[in-house]
Amino acid sequence: MITKIRTYITRAFEDVPKTKKSVEMQEELISNLIEKFNDQLKTGKSEEEAYTAVIAGIGDLSELTEGLRERHVLSGPTVQQRKQSALIITIAVMIFIMSPMALIFSAEVLGQETLGLVSMFALIACGTGLLVFHFASRPKYIKDDESMVEEFKEWKAAKDKNKPVFDALSSAFWLIIVAIYFYVNFIYGWWTFSWIIFIIGAAIHNILKAFFNLSRNDHEK
Amino acid sequence: MNITSDLLRGHTETIILKHLLEKDSYGYEINKAIQEKTNNQYELKEATLYSAFRRLETSGLIVSYWGDEQTGARRRYYAITNEGRAYYTQNRKDWEDAKTLIETLI
Repeated sequence: MITKIRTYITRAFEDVPKTKKSVEMQEELISNLIEKFNDQLKTGKSEEEAYTAVIAGIGDLSELTEGLRERHVLSGPTVQQRKQSALIITIAVMIFIMSPMALIFSAEVLGQETLGLVSMFALIACGTGLLVFHFASRPKYIKDDESMVEEFKEWKAAKDKNKPVFDALSSAFWLIIVAIYFYVNFIYGWWTFSWIIFIIGAAIHNILKAFFNLSRNDHEK
Repeated sequence: MNITSDLLRGHTETIILKHLLEKDSYGYEINKAIQEKTNNQYELKEATLYSAFRRLETSGLIVSYWGDEQTGARRRYYAITNEGRAYYTQNRKDWEDAKTLIETLI
């Protein structure tokens, strides 16, 4: 009879994905039903009567199985998290934009070129730090259940995790290049040939990218 | 009896929370307690009971853990959280208000 109860539940869950959740739900149901079945026997019922009572008491399991079958929508960040993340990115970008201004201001108005350069790099460091912190502290994808799809999603999330960091660094890199360009132009007046810095910058950027991709591939292997 | 069941069904979650206020428990034990308290007049269907557990757990009102039974099958125990306690108190208050209203109306 206990086997019959087990079969009844297993059959009800037949077309439900075999996730950890659904397997545990079945185990929980079966153990509770068996206990109920044994209690029914103790009241003097025959095995057949006890089985009928137990099965009749279960009710419509479709509400339960339906809940397990529905695809889990990837729960994205909450509104609050999104607002916070937008705020951090906005502040970081503002710092980036303002950093050359600090250089121009101190060089032109105060006549303190070194101070201007130092404060510009300090500002860029702050902005980059903010961005890196932001992307590193963002919640990683957590598995919803034990199915293959979830494992794939988790693996993919781990793989893409480094990309935002690289993007943040590369945007900071280009701002530094622009800052240097203005600096040498205003201070030394190298207008005629200073554009070469952009070509050099692009070359350095690509080399960095190559290194970054190489090291990432190594990690995966 | 039908109207009564309908009325009661709307309070399944509060009934479960009330039981868990006293101690951690598992599905069959809760249902058995309901039966005893009502002199066998009321019993939850397993489908209703376990759907309610799932909803309560998803909402963070209860948490579950597996017991370590030496004999027989494992049991999944449920425990009430602080949010669950607050939710119970609120439901309890809502019920008192509704009861007073209905008393004056019928």
